[in-house]
Amino acid sequence: MEKKVDYSLRVEMTKMEKLTDIKREKGKVGFVDKSVWITLLILLVLPFLISKPLATEILIYGLFALAFNQLLGHTGVLSFGHAAYFGVGAYAGGMALRYFHVSVWTSLVVAMVVTALVAACIGVLAIKKKGVYFAMISLAFAQMFYFMALSPFRKWTGGEDGLKFIPILKLEFPFHVDLTSALPLYYFTYFVVGLAIIALWRILDSPFGRVLKAIRENEVRTQASGFNVTRAKFLSLVISGSFSGLAGALFTVYLGYGSLMTLFWMTSGSILMMTLLGGMHTFIGPVVGVGVFMYLQNTISVYTDRWQLFVGALFVALVLFFPDGLVGTIKMKYRERKSRA
Amino acid sequence: MQLETNGVCKYFGGLKAVDGVDFSLSSGQLKSIIGPNGAGKTTFFNLLSGFYLPTKGTIRFEGKDISRKSMDQVSQLGITKTFQITQIFPRLTVFENVRIAAQSRKTAFNFWRRAGHFHDVNEKALEILDLVTLLDSRERIASNLSHGEKRYLEIGMALAAEPKVLLLDEPTAGMSPAETVEATHLIRDIADRLDLTIVLVEHDMSVVMEISDDILVLHEGKVLAEGNPKTISDNEEVQRVYLGGGK
Amino acid sequence: MFDLSWEIVAMQMIFGLALGCVYVLMAGGLSIIFGLLDVVNFAHGTFYMLGAYAIFVAVSLCGNFWLGLVSAVVIVALVGGVIEWLLLKPLYKRDPLYPLLLTFGVSICIPDIIKICFGLIGKVVPYPSGLMGAYMWGPVMIPKYRLFIIVLTLVVLISLWLFLNKSNLGMIIRASTRDSLMTQVLGINVSRIWTIGFMIGIGLAALAGAVAAPMVASIPDMGVEMTIECFVVVVIGGLGSLGGAIIGGLLIGQVISFVALFAPSWSNVAIFMVMAIILIIRPRGLFGEEGRL
Repeated sequence: MEKKVDYSLRVEMTKMEKLTDIKREKGKVGFVDKSVWITLLILLVLPFLISKPLATEILIYGLFALAFNQLLGHTGVLSFGHAAYFGVGAYAGGMALRYFHVSVWTSLVVAMVVTALVAACIGVLAIKKKGVYFAMISLAFAQMFYFMALSPFRKWTGGEDGLKFIPILKLEFPFHVDLTSALPLYYFTYFVVGLAIIALWRILDSPFGRVLKAIRENEVRTQASGFNVTRAKFLSLVISGSFSGLAGALFTVYLGYGSLMTLFWMTSGSILMMTLLGGMHTFIGPVVGVGVFMYLQNTISVYTDRWQLFVGALFVALVLFFPDGLVGTIKMKYRERKSRA
Repeated sequence: MQLETNGVCKYFGGLKAVDGVDFSLSSGQLKSIIGPNGAGKTTFFNLLSGFYLPTKGTIRFEGKDISRKSMDQVSQLGITKTFQITQIFPRLTVFENVRIAAQSRKTAFNFWRRAGHFHDVNEKALEILDLVTLLDSRERIASNLSHGEKRYLEIGMALAAEPKVLLLDEPTAGMSPAETVEATHLIRDIADRLDLTIVLVEHDMSVVMEISDDILVLHEGKVLAEGNPKTISDNEEVQRVYLGGGK
Repeated sequence: MFDLSWEIVAMQMIFGLALGCVYVLMAGGLSIIFGLLDVVNFAHGTFYMLGAYAIFVAVSLCGNFWLGLVSAVVIVALVGGVIEWLLLKPLYKRDPLYPLLLTFGVSICIPDIIKICFGLIGKVVPYPSGLMGAYMWGPVMIPKYRLFIIVLTLVVLISLWLFLNKSNLGMIIRASTRDSLMTQVLGINVSRIWTIGFMIGIGLAALAGAVAAPMVASIPDMGVEMTIECFVVVVIGGLGSLGGAIIGGLLIGQVISFVALFAPSWSNVAIFMVMAIILIIRPRGLFGEEGRL
């Protein structure tokens, strides 16, 4: 007994023209947003502005922050244990390189796949839970991985010293690149990170990405509109974890060994702080946050050991007074000025 | 019967919010549910929309049992609702609010195309906005709308999902008398133009009497009376319990 | 591994029980803060650490363990109150994410301040003279201090229960949860209640830290690990539930105690695996309420 409801509406002529104009403007879409191109441009020349290792770290953590923020800023789910994905990616990539002698490209793919699986497992156990529960559980799992790498699995992970003795890092395909040399390493990382940034942007601007934003805004309304919120969150977690794992694998290539610190809770905390610093409700904010944070860390650590205190105080100030972060606050001021003009 | 319930109950521990309600709805009807506070109206609505799972009893839609379906499944089957406390997407634009609702019938997990490329979804959103008189506000941030405008927006979102049955939970709550009149006409207009089936929960008796085809009176989780507006307003028990003993 | 006498098993159980009591105090405090303020206190372990340092300072100054214990709890609770009043309160009206983030920020700052004041070397608090040594119950050795912890926890729990259920202030606190109708009706006065509630939660954490101090060397970074373990307890027991905090805490104490004996390299990992198992077989936790998930 299915009743077909007729939704074709008869509209007056002038309204029809208006609608057509609006439809045209709404339909205009490019490949990616301006902000992404500008960022990619800046990152292209970055190694000539600051030290190359620092620039490489900014690239890697920038990717990590974007992946993290896809879950936090765009889906509204806080994970306090994202180091789990970063670290598992770092170790998966490193182990693939060390024990299976795969190419660097393969190690990146392996890292992404393994991390996606880990994220899927955690998602199955925890994604349905209320926000604070998920935050706690994610932290607990990250800590579990940390302790696993430290002690019982020491034989494979190298324990406290990290995963060492990774074979000499170089690319053979599509041409030979020596990844132990700073500049080629930077541009290799830039290439991978650049692609990943574009991919993440496209995902966020897709229909799926819009559903994530809706979930962030109002979960109940999203579900009432007919979307399976649990499945969407789960997928968001897997994507977020997978790209975090990619960042981790890149970090291992950069360092030349798999560091235990990638799994440490402070890594989870740092990425949260950097993301918030940049602005969690913008796309490119987290990258800016990473850049500023790491630059500051580099400069301030020269003068004092008390970097953690500075960071913590900064974070508290951020949460209290500038929750929109750098880019977010700038965006708001710009919008205010525009509407006043 | 398009939508019907059979002895449906919802118990919260010892509280019997809904206690054996038989309800039926034919396609194209506009039925109102009234009753004093605590009668179980919103709980009943939440059962119909899948927000709550019934403790006992069944809910059937177009012949199929939907008692254990989740809210998103029920929505996809064709029953959408608005909430007693307006649920919209506060930081998104009005257009985007409705666009997402319209998108729900098209795709949720496509992540390789740009959302703006789905022209039919854009079109549907614009048409709905026009229907609920919010077309000119389409670029405004939803949280900046007035209370009445937000209610309209939510109705628009419920419509954008192309429902066969529309559940409206106190749509005129918090509106001024003038806004209430406008909203009432809009609802009746939508019902007629789109030939929708509508179920309304309302406190405002003038609204109910004016636009309903049929009225169900709930009291303490049970059905007190059912019939057309005239029958209900003549019903002595209803008058005593709800209307305060006299029109 | 299996030539263990039951005396050793019994002793491990007692160690586990004492350790579990520390977790019970911690998780109890966390649950109170969450139940009242709807805030997950990421800095909970930090106050545990402060409790340990506070008793170290107090005992160094006055030489008396008991005086040191009481003053440590009171001082740290006051610090907690100040932090709640100045930093946490302005965030209640915002997205629930922000108070959590703030407590996280606090958990990063404070250890560094402690490092500045006390350096990195672990601080040792001597056992009080009355509680050194052990009782002998048949062949089983029961360390006096461990027994003290168990008894103290029991006393604290009972007092807390009486306070929350029988006293006027206690009942007001229970009624003043952040989303209750009372908060809207009473307005400003409830603010003070929240601070008191927060201080009670912090006081419990400080107490846990202070009594644990003689058993471990206190280092500035001991807080975060404790916070994480606390979270595990609460996930296992169920966040809304005080009973869950108790059972969860005691369970974790036993798990850590026995795994340390049988498979020491897994001793850190074990509790997370228990958590994972509970999440699989009973997602809402042992005593968790459905819906508050």
